This record gives sequence, C-alpha cells and structure tokens, in this order.
Amino acid sequence: MSAYIVPIFIIFVLLYASYKNLNTYNIFVKGAKGAIELVVSIFPYIVAIMVSVALMRVSGLTDLITKAVSPIFNFLGIPPEVSELVLLRPFTGSGSFALLNDIFTKYGADSYISRCACVIMGSSETVFYVATVYFSQTKVKKLLYAIPCALICSLVAAVLSCLLCRFM
Amino acid sequence: MMMLLSSAALLVVNPGETVDSMLNASAEAVELCINLCGIYAVWLGILEILDASGLSEKLAKLLKPIIKRLFKGADEKVHKDIAINMSANMLGLGNAATPYGIKAMKGMDDGSGVATKPMIMLMVLNATSIQLLPTTTIGLRASAGSQSPADIILPTLISTFITCLTGICLVFICNKIFKRKRG
Repeated sequence: MSAYIVPIFIIFVLLYASYKNLNTYNIFVKGAKGAIELVVSIFPYIVAIMVSVALMRVSGLTDLITKAVSPIFNFLGIPPEVSELVLLRPFTGSGSFALLNDIFTKYGADSYISRCACVIMGSSETVFYVATVYFSQTKVKKLLYAIPCALICSLVAAVLSCLLCRFM
Repeated sequence: MMMLLSSAALLVVNPGETVDSMLNASAEAVELCINLCGIYAVWLGILEILDASGLSEKLAKLLKPIIKRLFKGADEKVHKDIAINMSANMLGLGNAATPYGIKAMKGMDDGSGVATKPMIMLMVLNATSIQLLPTTTIGLRASAGSQSPADIILPTLISTFITCLTGICLVFICNKIFKRKRG
C-alpha cells in the first residue's frame, strides 16, 4: 500500500499545478537547481560526522561504551544483544541498518531480539546526523537542550520497544 | 572533541588504521552526498511546484492548529516548510523531509547564535519522527526470511507515538526551566 502513496501524491501535485495553469517543468527545474547548493553547503558537516563515527568504531570506543552501559540497559529491560544498536542508532543511519541485518542473520528474523531491533529502528532517528544537517545552515552555535531531549527520547523508544515486543 | 578522543584511543590500539578509516568514511560521505543531491533535486523541484500552486499553503493551514501550538513564536512563512517536513516524516520519507527542515530552520534563525524554542522543537520532532510505515525495516526483515515481516508495525506505531509525545513534553518542560533561569 505504501508503495502507492508517494506516486499518487506526486501525480496529484502535478495535476493540480496544471489545473492552475502553471508551467510545471520550469518550476521543477528552478527548484531542483537548489539541490546542488544545498548539498555543497551541508557536505562538510556530513564529512565531519561520518569521520568521527568511523573513528569511534575503529578505535573501539563504541565497544567500550557498549560494555559500560549494558548493565544499565539490562536494568531497563533492553537485552545486551540490541544495546549496540541502541547506541549506534543516533549516529548513523546506514551503519545501524547494517547492524540490523547482522542481528537478523545471527538471531533469525522472527526472534524476539530481531523484532526489538526493528521497533527500535522504526521509532528512533539518527539524532546527531539530524542535528548537524538541520542546524548547518543557521548561525546557531548553542543547541541548549535539543540534543539531550532527543537522546532521552531515543532511550525511551528503546525501552518501550523491548517492552512492547514482549507482549505483541 | 569526539574526533580527538577517538584518534587518541586509536594511537594506542591501532595507529595504522587511523588515516585509513578517516579517508574511508570521508569517501562514504561523498557518496552519500551525491545520492542526497539526487534525492533533494527531486523533492526540491516538487516543493517549488507545491509552493507555486499554493498547495503548501493549504497544507500549512490544515496543520496550523498543531503547528501554532508547538512552534510558538515561529514566523508564519516557516509554517509551510514545517508542515511539509512533518508530513514527509510521517510518510517515512526522512530524506525528503530534510531539505524542507533545513529551510524551516533557516527561516527561524534569529542570528543570535542560540537555538530558539521553535528550532529545538523542530529538531526534537525530527529526531523522534512519527513514522506511520517503517518501510525500510519491513523490507529488510522480509529479505532476511521473516514469516510475517509486517507484524512489527503495531508495536512500532505505539512506540513512535509515545516517544514523540515524550519529546514534545520534554521540550516544553525544558522551555519552562530555561525561562526561569534566564529571568
């Protein structure tokens, strides 16, 4: 079903625009032109975040943190098998999907662990990536409580996911 | 700072791999950006059509009661971008939502160097994004040989919804605390 939503939406937009007698082609091209500028301006920020994440993984810092917090996670009902995912999720989208795949092959796609992991993936976002990219075009240097709030939400999502998967 | 810490750790563990992994990640970033460029081009083109046809204003009007309450003090002009950003997020089109989100952030910047309340709200909302259909995850699960790949939809919906509410409450609470500190 979801496969239809986006195409239908696009067709609707185009139809509506022609009904309004607009030159859709010219307008589309004008808008698309902005993409290169946008990507060029966010590029350095993406490089910075991806390099930092890679360094953290290779250096073993991630493993260390995982080990350090897994007792806390255990207490909150998050199984140790998914705690790496919970930690990695805020940093990288592609990395966490790769990890999700690992979990599938290791524990089977229908296991409790895998279902937990799926729900975690679905209900949280790449917080640091979103923060860097969204604020990259502004002059903002102080994010105040934006990141802590978002991270607490991710943790809530993880705890909830594991709890819900137990019953459903 | 994160970089410094990790590099220092690497020096001890495995000095040869530092530069390698940095360059690898950077190359990956280039790849990602090229992909993003394509995605953004399509969605920014469609945004332009949305704007020109007046549809985005209609969408903003539709979501106005919610946006007005959540983004107090934000300019009327930004409402459109926020409306599209939120809708795209709900459909699970995270990458389509990004350009509109960036635009909205730019519009809300007051140049003071400190994030304003509506900016924080937008960021947290995007970070907890309500997702109606976790398409990517379901797809991955199906290809991993799951018997019923879609049975995670319900728990995901509940979880994402509660998380989003938590986020909104947290931001409001923090807003109050910070106001007191400043005043």
